[in-house]
Amino acid sequence: MIEKIKGLLKETEEFVVKNVDELEQYRLKYLSKKGEISTLFGDFKNVAPELKKEVGQKINLLKQSAQQKFDELKDYLEDQSDNTEGTDLSRPGEPIELGSRHPISLVKNEIVSIFNKLGFTVDEGPEIEDDWHVFSALNFPPEHPARDMQDTFFIEKEPDILLRTHTSSVQVRVMQNQKPPIRTLLPGRVFRNEAISARAHCIFHQIEGLFVAENVSFADLKQTLMYFAKEMFGEKTQIRLRPSYFPFTEPSAEMDVSCSICAGKGCNVCKYTGWLEILGCGMVDPNVLENCGIDSEKYTGFAFGMGVERIAMLKYQIKDLRLYFENDVRFLRQFKSAY
Amino acid sequence: MNISYNWLKNYLDIDIEPDKLSEILTNTGLEVGGVEEFESIKGGLEGLVIGKVESCEKHPNSDHLSLTTVNVGQAELLPIVCGAPNVAQGQKVVVATVGTTLYNGDESFLIKKSKIRGELSLGMICAEDEIGVGVSHDGIMVLPSDAQIGALAKDYFSIEKDIVFEIDLTPNRIDGASHIGVARDVAAFLKQTADIDIIVPNVDLFSKDNDTLKIDVVVENTEVCPRYVGVTLTDIKVESSPEWLQNRLKAIGLSPINNIVDITNFVLHEVGQPLHAFDASKIKGNRVVVKTMPNKTPFTTLDEEKRELHSDDLMICNAEDGMCIAGVFGGAESGVTNETTSIFLESACFHPVSVRKTARRHGLNTDASFRFERGVDPNITVYALKRAALLIKEIAGAKISSDIVDVYPEPVAPFEVELRLKQVTRLIGEELAKEKVIGILEALEIEIHEDKGEVLSLRIPPYRVDVNREVDVIEEILRIYGYNTVPIYDTVNSTLAYERKPNKNLLQNLVSEQLSSNGFNEMMANSLTKQSYYNEDGFYSSGSTVKIFNPLSQDLNGMRQTLMFGVLEAVIFNSNRQNSTLKLYEFGNCYNYNGDSKDDNPLKKYTQKEKLALAVTGNSTNESWGVETKGVSFSFLKAQVENVLSRVGVDINKLEQKVTSCDLYKEALVLSLNDKEIAVVGAINKSTLKQFDIKQDVYFAELNWGDILKGIRNHKVQFVELSKYPEVRRDLSLLLDCSVSFNTIKDIAFKVEKKLLKAVSLFDVYEGKNLGENKKSYAVSFMLQDETKTLKDKQIDKIMNKMISVLKEELNAQIR
Repeated sequence: MIEKIKGLLKETEEFVVKNVDELEQYRLKYLSKKGEISTLFGDFKNVAPELKKEVGQKINLLKQSAQQKFDELKDYLEDQSDNTEGTDLSRPGEPIELGSRHPISLVKNEIVSIFNKLGFTVDEGPEIEDDWHVFSALNFPPEHPARDMQDTFFIEKEPDILLRTHTSSVQVRVMQNQKPPIRTLLPGRVFRNEAISARAHCIFHQIEGLFVAENVSFADLKQTLMYFAKEMFGEKTQIRLRPSYFPFTEPSAEMDVSCSICAGKGCNVCKYTGWLEILGCGMVDPNVLENCGIDSEKYTGFAFGMGVERIAMLKYQIKDLRLYFENDVRFLRQFKSAY
Repeated sequence: MNISYNWLKNYLDIDIEPDKLSEILTNTGLEVGGVEEFESIKGGLEGLVIGKVESCEKHPNSDHLSLTTVNVGQAELLPIVCGAPNVAQGQKVVVATVGTTLYNGDESFLIKKSKIRGELSLGMICAEDEIGVGVSHDGIMVLPSDAQIGALAKDYFSIEKDIVFEIDLTPNRIDGASHIGVARDVAAFLKQTADIDIIVPNVDLFSKDNDTLKIDVVVENTEVCPRYVGVTLTDIKVESSPEWLQNRLKAIGLSPINNIVDITNFVLHEVGQPLHAFDASKIKGNRVVVKTMPNKTPFTTLDEEKRELHSDDLMICNAEDGMCIAGVFGGAESGVTNETTSIFLESACFHPVSVRKTARRHGLNTDASFRFERGVDPNITVYALKRAALLIKEIAGAKISSDIVDVYPEPVAPFEVELRLKQVTRLIGEELAKEKVIGILEALEIEIHEDKGEVLSLRIPPYRVDVNREVDVIEEILRIYGYNTVPIYDTVNSTLAYERKPNKNLLQNLVSEQLSSNGFNEMMANSLTKQSYYNEDGFYSSGSTVKIFNPLSQDLNGMRQTLMFGVLEAVIFNSNRQNSTLKLYEFGNCYNYNGDSKDDNPLKKYTQKEKLALAVTGNSTNESWGVETKGVSFSFLKAQVENVLSRVGVDINKLEQKVTSCDLYKEALVLSLNDKEIAVVGAINKSTLKQFDIKQDVYFAELNWGDILKGIRNHKVQFVELSKYPEVRRDLSLLLDCSVSFNTIKDIAFKVEKKLLKAVSLFDVYEGKNLGENKKSYAVSFMLQDETKTLKDKQIDKIMNKMISVLKEELNAQIR
């Protein structure tokens, strides 16, 4: 008897079905009223009493196992018939289109989030400005050649109302309206009276940073910018500072980063110098602090500014500035997966 | 500005690789924009050899050509056909062999093996001008008979080879606008590790030769001419400059003119002081007067341009007429010509702003004005004058014929600055040893007048026009010490800054990501646009346009008042490129002018508003299997707008919706929050689309982003206990007049049942003709719920009956 049970257990476990008919055969053979398991239950009365307990347990187990096997086989056949036979799963999914962010937004966000980690917040200011905020407060004397460095769009003359040529005007507004310590990032659109070409545009975007507190040093500036460069362009990035001139910072510098394309070996992107010019920076000129009502004996500060288009050009290898504002969707859609 | 390496070496004994020198210059603040090789003769005479004409016969087929054979030191004589009349047997000549390139200005010419009128020619016998060693074209160049046959021409002629650094001078570094100035900076850097000094040409030999020409100088406007120095020279022979001088000027890109002009240019680029030489015979009354002239006085400058002077233009005059625009440009009448035999040499200092204004008024930018505008050292004028006079004496055989006249009423003293060493450390962030600081200052010719321990009293030479404060001195120290030498620390010096709420940047990104996830492409259009988009009587009036005073073009002469036109430009741009299914959005500023503003601050007449535009056109989805392609619709765009508003916390159930018409939309809906219009959603009308050549429907929405952010300042999400009791839904099918809006139904419903009604939605619309004229059928569902108990049928029926009767009464609705 026990041998018989063992045999049936093995049989049912190994049973394979290809279709519903075969499943029915299984049912009839093992599970129906006249099936083998029922027959076993019928024979049970003949089992010797001392074995009854053991045999009873085994028959019950067999019945459970056979029933479970039946359910599995049934689910299997249903799955088989439900789906795929003949369906092309490679057909495209429903046309739910994915849009994209503009590369300028993407790069701006990346820059902002890097400086957010260093504790910078974001401030903004107007694009239509007066001479004071764009030039005079920033230590551009009247009739100074430095004013020639930026071609300005004017709206009114004398007194001058103009389109800001840099976001540094927002530095002035922030310093006038807030008390140090000030640690802020100033993104925005700026305007230059330059004919539109692949390499120049009359609008572009800048992000400036400003930190004014007691004992802010040039070394602090370098550290901040080094962190930015490594976060933005990769951990192996090196920076190089070159003395430069901006009326509103003293000392002033231009910063280069080692070319991320060729890792400094020289390529056509870095014009075989191994370096890419990225931003201008410096220590806030005491005249600017004083113009904004900040005691330059007590406070020092650093400022830096960069062009978003320029960094996006490097990041995405875009070679023509006009693409940013033509809004050709063949261009825009390329940034679907950018982050 | 160009700096010649050979020239620089006259003042500084260095032998540094050009690349390394370039790096030093850049690192100390004289940025090298480019490095170029210079050859005094273009092509360097490559391929040219000295030969001897061994035979010379008449060409059989030509009257003016000769057949020659030339020995260039090779085994075989070269047959060369020559067209020069002066060619003759036995001459030593310069031969361009086959494969040589000759240069004539920017053109080049390759010598090839050729047949000239049937005769073989393997080269060319050259004239002076053809190889660039002279200007003569009177025939071939005949060399002295001792010239070596087969010698290379580049060895026979001395060719100057040089390296030229192109320096991008920042406006504050006019001290670097000369070779000595650059040498001084390089020396200051090198002095940190080496014992080196610059060598400045000695002018001690300057002395008057005679007293034959005296010219008086009167300066009327001393405030704009702080110093005026002059001397006369006689017995001058004006001619071409010697080769070395020509080469110096050519190397930095100047064309040699004559020895006098060349020397003034040489000294300008050597020491940075502009000089001017007047033909003394043209100085009427032997008198130089520095003054302004009456407005509109005519004056012809060196370029033969007739100009009208401004009454503020400072002029160098003789007893009667103007001779030169001070510090800017010479006059046509008074300059040095080949006939000049005596000159008055000027070395002066003019006020930067005065020169700049004059130069700009006349649209001039000269080497002299460039320097004066940025500030010239008043204490170098005499040195420069002596240096030039000595060169003129040496090169043009002149005699110094007067004492130096020096009008310098108020000598400029060195700037005095107190430098606190503590301040150096504070600003740089690294403590520099005092000896290091002093070493750098001295290398920069800054005098330590008094060492007070922690404070140094400094005297800064006036040629450093940009160094007159403590912070400027620290910059100088840092510049030479090296920006890149300053260490980068591991710990951050930071302060706490608090983000503004609501965080604009965050919300803009949330909404952008939402739209991009829904298939929209973010775009950015120019803020500058055509004024003509804004019509006198249009929705956006031309009077409110911010107009550009100096526009780039008529297409970019105003600022946008709406994002709509930029978006439409993008639509046509793309549909012209086979992309007419578009979903676009843009965050951008729009600008308005309000001329009526009475505010004292003229800026207040201008406002800037942040807007968000959404536009859809073409199909709602791309074509694909299993999906019916349909055009985008107003309701698609409306849903997107509502989702944007919902995302940032605007309760769209509280929005007032009003249908509006304006000259840009076919139909549009205005959404208002607390009586403030926050969005317009509509279909753009045909006449607007036609302006842009757009043939397809465009649905456009513009949101007043700034106002929305103000409206949600107090937005908070608060959890509401989940109800334990079920919601009950009741549907009504209403036959309505077409004019009845869903919004009205909703408003009525919530008025009827304030407490238990949770939501009203429209789940079917039927507008078939069989309903009757101007009728439509709305299937509306009502969700009811009581948070405290299960609603009973009796209660629900009561509410719904009331609902029906009010809808019947107020909207003339029929229940179907």
